[in-house]
Amino acid sequence: MIRTVARKEMLEIIRDGRFRWSAAITLLLLCGALAMGWQHYRDVASQHEAARRDTRQQWLKQGEKNPHSAAHYGVYAFKPRMPLSLVDPGVDPYVGVAAWLEAHKQNEFKFKPAQDATALQRLGELTGATVLQLLLPLVIILLTFSAFASERELGTLRQLMSLGVSRSDLAWGKALGISGALAMLLLPATVIGVAGLALTAENGALAGSTPRLLLLFAGYLAYFAVFLGISLAVSAKASSARVALITLLGFWIFNGLLAPKAVTDLARSIHPTPSTLQFARDIEHDIENGMDGHNPADSRAEALKQELLRKYNVDSVNKLPIDFNGVRMQAGEEYGNQVFDRHYGALWATYDRQRRIHDLASILAPSLAIRSLSMGLAGTDFPQHAHFSQAAEQYRRLINREMNMDLAHHAKGKPVYMAKESLWQKIPDFHYEAPGLGWVVRNHTLSLVLLTVWCLAAALAASWMSRRMEVI
Amino acid sequence: MLEALSLTKAYNGHTALNNLNLTVAAGEVFCLLGANGAGKTTTINLFLNFIPPTSGTAKVNGIDVASHPLESKRYLAYIPEQVMLYRNLTGIENLSYFTELAGCEKYSQAKLLDFLTAAGLQAEAADKRVGSYSKGMRQKVGIAIATARNAKALLLDEPTSGLDPKASNEFSELLKRLSGNGAAILMATHDLFRAKETGTRVGIMKHGNMVAHMKTEELGHADLERIYLEHMHD
Amino acid sequence: MLFLIAKNDWRNIRADRTLWAIALLLTTTILYGVHNGASWVDFQKRTIQGALADEAERHAAIKQGIEDANAGRTSPPSWKDPRSPYAVGYRLGSRFATMPPAPLAALAVGQSDLLPYYFRVTVNSRDTMLGNDELENPVHLLSGRFDLAFVIIYLFPLVILAVSYNLISGDKEDGTLALTLSTPVSLPSLAMGKIAFRAAFVLTLGAVLSVAGALLSGIDLSAPGAAPRLLLWMGAVAAYSIFWFGLAVLINAMGRNSATNALALSGLWLVFVLLIPSLLNVGIKTAHPVPSRVEMIQAMRHASDAVTAERSRLMAEFLEDHPELAPAASADTNAQFAVRSVAMTEELERRIQPVLDEFDKRISRQQQLADQYRFLSPAILTQAALYDLAGTGVHRYKHFLNLAANYHQQWQAHIQPKMMQTVKLSTASIDELPRWHWQEEDTADVLGRAGTHTAALALTAAFVIAIGVLALRRFPVVG
Repeated sequence: MIRTVARKEMLEIIRDGRFRWSAAITLLLLCGALAMGWQHYRDVASQHEAARRDTRQQWLKQGEKNPHSAAHYGVYAFKPRMPLSLVDPGVDPYVGVAAWLEAHKQNEFKFKPAQDATALQRLGELTGATVLQLLLPLVIILLTFSAFASERELGTLRQLMSLGVSRSDLAWGKALGISGALAMLLLPATVIGVAGLALTAENGALAGSTPRLLLLFAGYLAYFAVFLGISLAVSAKASSARVALITLLGFWIFNGLLAPKAVTDLARSIHPTPSTLQFARDIEHDIENGMDGHNPADSRAEALKQELLRKYNVDSVNKLPIDFNGVRMQAGEEYGNQVFDRHYGALWATYDRQRRIHDLASILAPSLAIRSLSMGLAGTDFPQHAHFSQAAEQYRRLINREMNMDLAHHAKGKPVYMAKESLWQKIPDFHYEAPGLGWVVRNHTLSLVLLTVWCLAAALAASWMSRRMEVI
Repeated sequence: MLEALSLTKAYNGHTALNNLNLTVAAGEVFCLLGANGAGKTTTINLFLNFIPPTSGTAKVNGIDVASHPLESKRYLAYIPEQVMLYRNLTGIENLSYFTELAGCEKYSQAKLLDFLTAAGLQAEAADKRVGSYSKGMRQKVGIAIATARNAKALLLDEPTSGLDPKASNEFSELLKRLSGNGAAILMATHDLFRAKETGTRVGIMKHGNMVAHMKTEELGHADLERIYLEHMHD
Repeated sequence: MLFLIAKNDWRNIRADRTLWAIALLLTTTILYGVHNGASWVDFQKRTIQGALADEAERHAAIKQGIEDANAGRTSPPSWKDPRSPYAVGYRLGSRFATMPPAPLAALAVGQSDLLPYYFRVTVNSRDTMLGNDELENPVHLLSGRFDLAFVIIYLFPLVILAVSYNLISGDKEDGTLALTLSTPVSLPSLAMGKIAFRAAFVLTLGAVLSVAGALLSGIDLSAPGAAPRLLLWMGAVAAYSIFWFGLAVLINAMGRNSATNALALSGLWLVFVLLIPSLLNVGIKTAHPVPSRVEMIQAMRHASDAVTAERSRLMAEFLEDHPELAPAASADTNAQFAVRSVAMTEELERRIQPVLDEFDKRISRQQQLADQYRFLSPAILTQAALYDLAGTGVHRYKHFLNLAANYHQQWQAHIQPKMMQTVKLSTASIDELPRWHWQEEDTADVLGRAGTHTAALALTAAFVIAIGVLALRRFPVVG
């Protein structure tokens, strides 16, 4: 029974010119977006790889220098591009591409790609994620809004019911038929996406990304199921096909357009982001005057001096067996690190609380759940950016510690102390390990749960509405 | 008042109306009879300029409707099979809108109510929303619009189908009164009895042609039915 | 006649819940949008005030420090000596170049969340000013803000389509169309009458709410240029709205049923508001790709390394060009250091200028292309007009960048000679440090640009309405 309904439904959809057109356009856009995502990924990945090697060579070949000068010279950390960013570039255009890892300072990532684009970017960007999150639900609505409503208007529903078809069979049949039609659209896109990943597989992108890809795939299927269920429920309940269409379009607009922006401003007003100016001033203030306000830098240096004099049991800095400047600077770094940890920690906690509001709002709009999940799995959400910038920061601290310790141990009594490449070699190459799937999933539990809830609720609504549907 | 000169309408090679010549003078009631698809509604639509003629002309008060659609409509009133009105407005509001739209003087509320009651609508119904009206009540508002507009020519498209015999009778009486006041009436109908009762002339249409054409006063009821059925036989 | 039709339409529609739902939707979204814009403007103003306060505080501290040091109460190390032009010019005395929000900024956040509105200006090379953006959660940049411009560009068309998708088809389906057209009323005037009512409703509601919201949120209409900007804003919104009404007429004229009209119109909305802008964005990026910032960073670093390697030669050359700046005593290491650093900064700026210029050139080309193809979608035209009028688009930002670059040069020109001559700064010389003056964009320029967009919008709207009216003549009243 279900199969018969499904077959008829699919046949009808495939013969419908509206479906053919919208499916062709969507498919074209999706494939185009994926192809461009792939191209962009490859370009950026190779640029980053080249720059990464270059910055390493610059570090190694910086010549004879005082280690502290070397720390000031520093290196650059370039944000790597994740393979799945070809599907969902996420926040990548809105975070800087590189941070300078220099002495004394934790720098923000600079140069957001979106700043180099025209204002058109803000009207809409063609990415795999936009097509999947915005356009495909629209295709689903288009296929489904008339499922029951227009059969009722045509009177065929009365005929079906008189044949003794059960309502739930009818609903399942329709859902299956529509899914079949959708699969014809999604299958080619999936093949292209996977092929794209496989082509970039020089660094095992495909194998490494498979679990993420599978979960991403499942997530989008669940998201589509939400729209399918809701559309069927509305179609069963609505008094006419026109009302069903308008209701569903209203939901689509709320879900995809209104909610993300409305929540943005809501989250900003509940958990305000500080200005860069305030942020920098607070850090400077804490380093200068101490985090509790009663421990200025000068007295911290003085205390360190006294402590060292006591430890080595000497009465002047000159008699210390180590270079005091190196120790003092390292102590300064460590104090600075505490300050940075505190302020960046607070900033990122604010972002995280803002993210929580976005995730919670997906109770009202499932697009927020899939958006968050999709960025997470593609490796392009903010937590993963923060993860990278933390790794870069640890590397900066390592460089500074090594340089200062070298000063402390070797600069004693030398008016001009220069270190050589052997010291630069002591700093290992910066190697970043992206977090695993478990870490990502833990970050996105809320959106995962809410997406599942939406999926179940939509299925329930569809079956409930179709069972209670009026035949005439 | 109403004049069709070699009026022809073809859709993609199918002739819906073929070379119709017809004149309805003031005070006359001309009834168009015929099966579904015989060309009755096409004739009325052509007079309303809802569709352009393939050839020939339709004139209202001597004005060609195709070249002067708006002027010709000053003299026309139209009552379709279903008089559809704005559901959310009352009978009076609908009447007032359509008469003002037609460029008539602005009637007072009392005068509007007069028109409605004269058309047989109960006074208490006039202030109710049209959404709650029966078909007969809406037809009466249609008549009221026609009278209030003081139309010189009336086009009626099966106005009595679906009305109960009493409502149908009242409707006929109203028509007689309108034609008595000098209106030319062209009515498409299936109701041979009503045609004989109210019509001054009848025309029988078949496949777009006017196949017979006679005065009712020369006919008995039985004659009309016989002639009609004869023509319907192929 | 039009008035009569409009009045009747109003009586007819007022009984319908849709209208009230739409009024409620417009009211909430417009007020929420204006509120968000206003709180963003408020934040920017407070930040700028904070910058000025920070500057004032630092300058007071410098003066105090100079007095203390001169009186021998303190002996600061050279790198933070308030008397040293070097320390003052690089760090202690740096001033902010700020761009205050324009009078109508609360109406459109535009690009102002993405582009910086203040820079700290130092003696350092120009590139160090780059990339110091305002902190913002990138997810928020991705979503964009819920401002009035968003309501106008995205929601207004939807509201308009919701009230006019069945403009004629609805009457035809209800059967009232035939009766209406049996009176001496033409279909175009019927359509115009109905549009007139709906447009009056949507636009009045939109205009009254926007202005009321704007005034409540503290927009000062007496600010120079504010009133004409607001008028042109209204003009742009009206033209944009009329375009969508025209489109509804055009689609209705095709004579399909209401459900098909709703589908067709939402499809067109998708095309104009989402698809054309994103395809155009892709096209522009492909035609004029901006070079990689990563490569730029590396190029700048190579330039900086080269300059460092050649510093002795550079300093010698510099002194040949500016013999008057030669340190009085060759043993004066501070002066040596200062001359060398100025020479290096100058050379570095000279070398990286082509790299930066390449970026500016590519971005301007992109902008040109975007301007050229803007007429493809009224949404793009409207965005451009609204952002320009609110002063939150790229034009005002460029204007700010130019002013800031000039100020930076002025700052360098003032401090560098003092650094090289190792002048000891006095409290009076702190007051002589160049001050930042924000100069508002020329209102005539803004109005000219936005006026062009609005004119193009109005032209498009008129064109669509004309086609719609023409098409109405062939509307199948029956069948």
